[in-house]
Amino acid sequence: MIFQTPILALLLVSLLASLVAVWSGWFGLRVLARWNLASGSRAQLQMERLTELVSTLFRFVMLAELVALLLFVFNADRMASLFVGAMCAVGTLNVNPYGFPALYAKIAVFFAAAVWLMLDRADRMGRDFPLTRVKYVALVGIAPLVLLSAGLELTYFLNLRTDVITSCCSKLFTPVNPNLAAELSGLSPGAALWLLGGSGAAVVLAGAGALIRRRGAQGFALAGAVLFGVAIAAIISVVSSYIYEHPNHHCPFCILKPEYGYYGYALYGPLFAGTALALSAGVLQGFARVPSLTGVLPALIRRQIWLSLGAFALFGVAVIWAIVRSQLILFG
Amino acid sequence: MISLQSVSKLYNEGRPNEVQALRDIDLEIAPRAVTVFKGPSGSGKTTLLSIVGCMARPSTGRVFVDGQMVSGLPEKFLTEQRRTTFGFVFQRFNLIRGLSVLENVMLPAVPLGPDHAALRRRALDRLEQLGLGAKADMKVEYLSGGETQRAAIARALINDARILIADEPTANLDTELTHRFLEIVAALRDEGRTVIMTSHDPRIWEADMVNAVIEMQDGRISGAFA
Amino acid sequence: MTPFLRRQRALADYTLAALARRRGKNLALVVIFSVIVFVVASAMLFSAALQREADLVLAEAPELIVQQLVLGRQDLIAETEIAKLTAIRGVTAAKGRLWGYFYDRISGANYTVMVPDDPAMMPEPGTVAVGEGIPRARGFTFAQAPLFLSRWPGELQKFAVARTFDSDSALVSSDLVLMAESDFRRFFEVPPGVYTDIAVSIRNPREIATIVEKATRAMPAARFVTRDDIARTYQKLFSWREGLLVALAGAAILAFAIFAAEKASGLSAEEAREIGVLKAIGWDSSDVIAMKLWEGALIAIGAFLIGTVAAYLHVFGTGAALFAPVLKGWSVIYPDFRLAPQIDGMQLTALFLITVVPYVAATLVPIWRAASADPDQIMR
Ligand SMILES: Nc1ncnc2c1ncn2[C@@H]1O[C@H](COP(=O)(O)OP(=O)(O)O)[C@@H](O)[C@H]1O
Ligand SMILES: [Mg+2]
Repeated sequence: MIFQTPILALLLVSLLASLVAVWSGWFGLRVLARWNLASGSRAQLQMERLTELVSTLFRFVMLAELVALLLFVFNADRMASLFVGAMCAVGTLNVNPYGFPALYAKIAVFFAAAVWLMLDRADRMGRDFPLTRVKYVALVGIAPLVLLSAGLELTYFLNLRTDVITSCCSKLFTPVNPNLAAELSGLSPGAALWLLGGSGAAVVLAGAGALIRRRGAQGFALAGAVLFGVAIAAIISVVSSYIYEHPNHHCPFCILKPEYGYYGYALYGPLFAGTALALSAGVLQGFARVPSLTGVLPALIRRQIWLSLGAFALFGVAVIWAIVRSQLILFG
Repeated sequence: MISLQSVSKLYNEGRPNEVQALRDIDLEIAPRAVTVFKGPSGSGKTTLLSIVGCMARPSTGRVFVDGQMVSGLPEKFLTEQRRTTFGFVFQRFNLIRGLSVLENVMLPAVPLGPDHAALRRRALDRLEQLGLGAKADMKVEYLSGGETQRAAIARALINDARILIADEPTANLDTELTHRFLEIVAALRDEGRTVIMTSHDPRIWEADMVNAVIEMQDGRISGAFA
Repeated sequence: MTPFLRRQRALADYTLAALARRRGKNLALVVIFSVIVFVVASAMLFSAALQREADLVLAEAPELIVQQLVLGRQDLIAETEIAKLTAIRGVTAAKGRLWGYFYDRISGANYTVMVPDDPAMMPEPGTVAVGEGIPRARGFTFAQAPLFLSRWPGELQKFAVARTFDSDSALVSSDLVLMAESDFRRFFEVPPGVYTDIAVSIRNPREIATIVEKATRAMPAARFVTRDDIARTYQKLFSWREGLLVALAGAAILAFAIFAAEKASGLSAEEAREIGVLKAIGWDSSDVIAMKLWEGALIAIGAFLIGTVAAYLHVFGTGAALFAPVLKGWSVIYPDFRLAPQIDGMQLTALFLITVVPYVAATLVPIWRAASADPDQIMR
């Protein structure tokens, strides 16, 4: 089953990411043990230069991983016709127990890498490698996550069996089942929209607060994370139904299909970008007082908050537009 | 204003072929003046110049530029310091073959993301001043020795460096061209720039526009004359 | 423009000039890279096009086919079974079909011989309708040439060719011979009252599973093949073959990546000196890396575009002339037909990941190594 171009491409990216993660994790340990800025020695200089390589490799691999995340979902959707019972990505991911964990791990890698790249960016702005230790501690933590994600993905693809009858979104996302997905779809549309509006307002307030008081981006990050969760729930419970124009179709994946004008990308793109920016603003806030960064970091944090707010606003517009143009009437 | 405090430089540190190129150098270099390092070949002039010019980090000791310590900076910031403060004219000029004079001159500005038209104008002005205006579009490999040097000077000054650094600038020039070079240096000093050179050429350190001569021997300063 | 964009532009300008200065080396790189992209892209586009072709054909096929099994192999099925099927609720029609394969010793090809369902397609007794592959395989020189079929040496049966179908769904129909029922039974010596299999039409596709269940109880010895089963088989077959080709190309990609890494690390003395000069005059390692990445990107994107466009022309312009034998290979008669041009974002993304990513990955470390040259080196 793995002899398919998209699957080979995905495995290739995972392999590269794993290689980079293992090597840079190992290098990270070396940095933690031997980093000594005061030394003008060759070894230290070489290590400083290697940090440049790590940053370059990581940026490259994470860009590839981002494309791979899109391809993973897209491919799952496309392969649905191979499996009995699969109508969209949900069915394909359900063929064996590794599909959804692989997807979640990929998303986790995306957020972790986004925050790490921002740390890296901040670190390079200071004149004394201010965040290098933090950065490499984080890297040593991220490396196993990348490996886990690659392992799950490989196991998933190796265990794709076409004779398995899988269950698709119509089975998973219905209120009658006793699981989380069902519970989310069972969430009443009104409550979901209120929650979404409420956490959106919280994000705007926290963002404005952080911008005005020039601190407290952690609160904004927290609000952003909550909004992410609520938004996913709302997409499942109500927004997707508006897009399908069908009150009982609650699938977070079918909205990515061409039949629905790829509308899902307009929702998920800004949502993921906004969340990643919010998280990294929150993490960076913790280092705003580092002496060599006091001059530059607050500006970066502010920019991230603005961008994050902008992304969330786009998400909001996409949600409202989905509701407005829909023929479906849930209220009234 | 540049000052060095007990600067040493080791090459191939910890290996059998270790070389101590500089030993315990203390030095102050005056701004808006012409300073020359003189001494026999192998005495450490070029090494000292590279440390003064933020091209290399000392093995021990501190280097200050305008009161800011630069010796511990990450390479990236050292580079930033270098490209905004220093302009280099190398012994072998090191222009890039295959590119025109103008392109060569504009090269140090590329990483700064300059406005292209303004940069071009600046480069042409500088070439004009040095008498190379007509040769701007010529490939550098067709220039004569003196012209190559002037192109190298134009390149060194494109980011408006306050300090010009030249390693053995007259090694390949005849007397006539050496005089021409010294005139240019004098003019730069009068613009308010600092010039630091190495030379074992008496025509240079005996010239009366030189403000300070620092004599080196075996990696140490063996004498200083004003 | 922001300084960031201006810097990128200036770097790209410099890179273009540098590429032009080392035209020979870079052209070789682009050519080899394009060939690899071409192979992978052709395999991908071709198998996707075949898949679509098969889907088109299947869309016309019956929802369910019932076959008789004897000793685990397919056998002729009795007419009496038809009544059992039509009795099941939800079945709109069940019809016996007559079809089989005929190995033509004269051309060395396998024909599919069928009695058409559709009365409009039914040839007069003594005549046949044939797919466009057959006149080609037989080397017919004039339009009304009769078709002679020989079942054993020394035997010949003559059929007038009533019509030849054109290439619409050539993949499946090019080796087709349509015969009247009486001719078919005589030619293959099939007794009356039996059929090859039974085609069942079902009104609501959701009921297929239930109907198969009921039919299995009524006819325990029969095998039931749904249209979806066939579609899945096709899809697996095509993607598996495509994947095999891509995996083979993977070996080529690996070789190319090693070659590219080799090229990138074995900088010519001239190039190494150039990087030394750039670092000495104030470029940072990250500037050099960015410049080299521009170089890699220009080469990779150039080769990607060339390879993909060439593959597109190859697959949809020439019907994948170079690959057809490998990927189709299910009949000796290769249909001569045009595939409907189609390409999508997912294919392009996968193609990009599988070709460009290894190239960039292979060159990153050598690039970094070149960029971390000591800036003071050039003073020696
Ligand atoms: N990269 C290097 N590796 C090892 N030794 C070096 C290196 N560069 C310079 N040296 C040694 O350091 C000493 C000083 O060299 P240099 O500064 O070039 O002297 P000068 O410019 O006065 O001729 C010499 O003995 C030289 O051989
Ligand atoms: Mg020297």
